[in-house]
Amino acid sequence: MIGFLTLLKREVMRFIKDALDTIAPPTVDVILYMLIFGLALGARLGEVQGVSYIQFMMPGLILMSIIRNSFYNPAYSLFQSRWDGNIADALSSPLSYTQMALAIILGGVARGLLVGVLVLIAALVLTNLPFAHPILVLVYGLSVSIAFAGLGCIVGLCAKNWEGINTVNVFLLDPLVLLGGVFYSLEMVRGIAVIESLTRLNPFTYIIGGFRGALLGTTEADAIIGLILALGLGVVLVMLSILLFRVGYHLKA
Amino acid sequence: MIVPAISFQHLRKAYRNLIALDDLCLDLQPGEFFGLLGPNGAGKTTSLHTIIGLVKPTAGRVLIKDLDAVRDYRQVHRLVGITFQEFVLDAQFLNVREILIYQAGYFGVSPKHAGSRADELLQQFALWDKRASRVQELSGGMKRRLMLAKALMHDPEILILDEPTAGADVELRHQIWEMLQDFHQQGKTILLTTHYLEEAERLCERVAILQKGRLLAVGSPKELARQRDQHRLEDVFLELIRSDKQ
Repeated sequence: MIGFLTLLKREVMRFIKDALDTIAPPTVDVILYMLIFGLALGARLGEVQGVSYIQFMMPGLILMSIIRNSFYNPAYSLFQSRWDGNIADALSSPLSYTQMALAIILGGVARGLLVGVLVLIAALVLTNLPFAHPILVLVYGLSVSIAFAGLGCIVGLCAKNWEGINTVNVFLLDPLVLLGGVFYSLEMVRGIAVIESLTRLNPFTYIIGGFRGALLGTTEADAIIGLILALGLGVVLVMLSILLFRVGYHLKA
Repeated sequence: MIVPAISFQHLRKAYRNLIALDDLCLDLQPGEFFGLLGPNGAGKTTSLHTIIGLVKPTAGRVLIKDLDAVRDYRQVHRLVGITFQEFVLDAQFLNVREILIYQAGYFGVSPKHAGSRADELLQQFALWDKRASRVQELSGGMKRRLMLAKALMHDPEILILDEPTAGADVELRHQIWEMLQDFHQQGKTILLTTHYLEEAERLCERVAILQKGRLLAVGSPKELARQRDQHRLEDVFLELIRSDKQ
């Protein structure tokens, strides 16, 4: 257990010690979104699903922060350790492959949740969030962060260069998140065929919608469907990460 | 019967167009100081990496005190400390002392014990003044010593050293030799690869000479020289490598 906790501590200290590069920028980024889209533009949009626009967009922004940061930490940490060769420290230790994968994933969960909480605090300064189903909010945050830390772990193992990680972010994560209804409801895009279809087909729509329901009490998406999707994704991605560690994918010759 | 500290049993490693190890059979006795010699690409590093699971054998197996290096990897890793050819140091955000403490942590050493062990090794390896420095601030020789200290943090029974003196100046090389002789006297089994044949001659009780993954000869440096009517290990080495090429 000491070995597992040591690796987990390493993964956490990695972003804590470098907080100006790892925690501050994504938090400030999202606060700017809040100010520009929420306060400046949102005042002209009126109510969406029975809440003000700034309230409407907050759950999506919080989840977006959790997703991105949970993904980045394991992806960059693992790739850099492969790049520098010091992944051999863990591989030549008595840690099991499952322990290695889980410690790296939990490091990502910690960063995702930390940034999520900071964004939530900023959101509470700017607007009121009712926390309609607080337990669900917590379970959502955890399951989404586990799922995307798992994805980060897989990408950190599979990437052949630094650009590989950015490619996944730019071509997969960003489109899925931004077309998942962070800034708009399905009602708002009705009639815009391309956006409406992409949004309806996007599983993130149900995850973000469900989280919005848990936080605000709005009902456009079923909170349980989103949760099942997030949990399912989490289980699959974590299992896949462990499997890749066990077979030594890009770790062993 | 004495259980070998390390036993390579019909070990074979093949990559697409290359056979890195070809039916390697070799036993190292507990407490032995053993040298693995050969030209570049002979399979020395590959052999070492099979012990700690960084290379998966194509066939055969490696046993460490009768434990299978693949199946029982967690128990095997507890017994082994390794220094790599390259400077494998977690330089992302840790200082010298932290590198040692984290290393011990991976092996299950409690933070309290890891701290005192790190301080002991920092003094022994003349790195105490650099304990708060980042790896980037260390000279090549200091990095070599840090790598060695890192391998010793969990007090392993078996020490595997992949070219531990590569790039070291004469003084540092002698320092490292003295340290290795101390560890050997403490009863540790040491498996070392090196390109410096006088180093192998001076330190190793037995050596094995590899070429293209095949074992050409094994024995004590004196024995090998006597068998071939030579005076130095270097002459034996050259004779074996040249005749194998023909």
